Amino acid sequence: MKSQQTTRARFDWRDLIVEALAGLFARPGRALLTVLGAVLGIASLVATLGVAHTAGNQIISSFNELSATSVVVTTDRGFFGDNAPRVALPWDSETRLSRLNGVVAAGSMVDVNIGGDLTSSVPLNDPLGQTEFQVPMIAASPGIYPAVRGKLRTGRWFDQGHSERADRVAVLGVGAAQRLNINRVGQQPVVFVGDLSFAVIGILDDVLRQADLLNSVIVPEGTARELYGLKSPTTIQIDTEVGAAELIASQAAIAVSPNDPALVRVQSPPSPESLQTQVESDVNALFLVLGAVSLLVGAIGIANVTLVSVLERVGEIGLRRALGAGRRHIAYQFLLESTGIGLFGGVIGASAGVLVVVAVSASNDWTPVLDARVPLAAPLLGAVVGLLAGLYPAWRASRLEPVESLRASGA
Amino acid sequence: MGRVFGDGEAAVHALSDATLRVHRGDYVSIMGPSGSGKSTLLNIMALLDRQTSGTYRFDGVDAQSLPEGSRTGLRAHRIGFVFQAFHLLAHRSVTENVVMSMLYNRMPRSSRRTRALESLERVGLSHRADFLPTKLSGGERQRVAIARAIAPHPTVLLCDEPTGNLDQVTGRSILDLFEELRASGLTVVVVTHDPRVGLQADRILEVEDGRVETLPQSYRTAPAER
Repeated sequence: MKSQQTTRARFDWRDLIVEALAGLFARPGRALLTVLGAVLGIASLVATLGVAHTAGNQIISSFNELSATSVVVTTDRGFFGDNAPRVALPWDSETRLSRLNGVVAAGSMVDVNIGGDLTSSVPLNDPLGQTEFQVPMIAASPGIYPAVRGKLRTGRWFDQGHSERADRVAVLGVGAAQRLNINRVGQQPVVFVGDLSFAVIGILDDVLRQADLLNSVIVPEGTARELYGLKSPTTIQIDTEVGAAELIASQAAIAVSPNDPALVRVQSPPSPESLQTQVESDVNALFLVLGAVSLLVGAIGIANVTLVSVLERVGEIGLRRALGAGRRHIAYQFLLESTGIGLFGGVIGASAGVLVVVAVSASNDWTPVLDARVPLAAPLLGAVVGLLAGLYPAWRASRLEPVESLRASGA
Repeated sequence: MGRVFGDGEAAVHALSDATLRVHRGDYVSIMGPSGSGKSTLLNIMALLDRQTSGTYRFDGVDAQSLPEGSRTGLRAHRIGFVFQAFHLLAHRSVTENVVMSMLYNRMPRSSRRTRALESLERVGLSHRADFLPTKLSGGERQRVAIARAIAPHPTVLLCDEPTGNLDQVTGRSILDLFEELRASGLTVVVVTHDPRVGLQADRILEVEDGRVETLPQSYRTAPAER
């Protein structure tokens, strides 16, 4: 006889999965609502990571556009550096710097001390209107125009020839031109600075750097040296190629002040990597907490619903025990159900998160950037959350005594 | 006197010093008023419950001494249980409900369905195989429950008030089914408070105040006295 057939009941994983799925699909509405909790948590995590990554990259590219390619050399020693010896920047800085590999354009400039002279255009006999203004004058090398990425409204920029001949020409910044009532240069209007006259050859409409230029009368360096006895330029603006800024920053000081490179001050953009990391960690820290909180809420939701489901299915548990299911089988089934909810929520949440990233990027004209591991890991995270959420309910289910549970539901 | 198949002795609150012996192939009914402890007795016999004193030997093995896993195994392989309340899963088809009794068995997946259909045929429900239990009548549901109980080919079928929720005619058909099953060699133990059900069995036991007594043959001839 097979009297010793007391082998342990066995349960196959495939059966377990089928049973767990059947348990979920028995109440699809509730399962979906529960899944929603996990979906929200996972989606917000994925979206947070994605948007932070995307925005981080975006900020970098806008920095690349301008700041990341700008290097400024000055003799300014800063607030505490006034007593330090100043070094004179050479007049040929532009030429020296242009030889460096990675420099797109370089130009020097200096404020000209015009001693309070007022500037006026062609005298107008207008007793009511003001015709003379205090307009700052800047002496610049020709290269400053490309180096600040300037844009002319009309006319032209002066060239090296103007500077060498010390021609009395000037370009007006758009603000200065408005005050002086000059909007055309076709007929070579003249501005008077004190007693000196300058022919206006162009109007500068816009610059991306050194905005002072827009309110000034800009004259060639050579002209200013001859007329005002300038000693040296004080500021050099360099436009570099993308990625070359750091290198140029280290070389520029040596190029313009080989004897004493430490005496010039070089302003260079922060390195892209540190910038990106900083931006991302700022965005992440806040939203990751939000994502984690919603995931926690989702987990509590799963735990709650699984617990309710255990209490509701006491009869089923009793029946399964009577049919030979061990405590483990019961525990595994409920664990698998909650894990399934978490996994499903993770899959949907990852998709929703990716969609959010794409939508946010599209609305901002950004390129969506997302670490490929994030949407892949998200369903796993969901499953783990579901598993953890199911631990207590599953334990409760496995502790039920078959007789008790049959009695509780049988009556 | 043949081989001892089952032997029970239990003393819980509901049962005190109850002694009974069920042999292989027996058709035994256990009767008694409600609250007399007959369901408790059946639960102990089904290894769903443990007695607090005395011994229960299942197939010669002291069930009390078995580890939980082995008791679970016995439930899965050797015991079929039929509940008064049927306990069918409402959202699973009739066949799936029957298959469930073989999930915790060592039955290969492929043969479960065949077995389930076989046992449905035995209870005359082949035509309802794909129905949901909610679409069936009470008698049909109980027959599904019986099909589920006998599908793993247990050696003993324990029934707790199997006709309690059924009308007379359907109850009758269930009793006929027991008769058939018994004829095929299954040991059948039926707990009931209904004399009509109890009379069907070869041996009628009565639980009274936690004790088990065998009713004399005269009970059969004069049930009205009770």
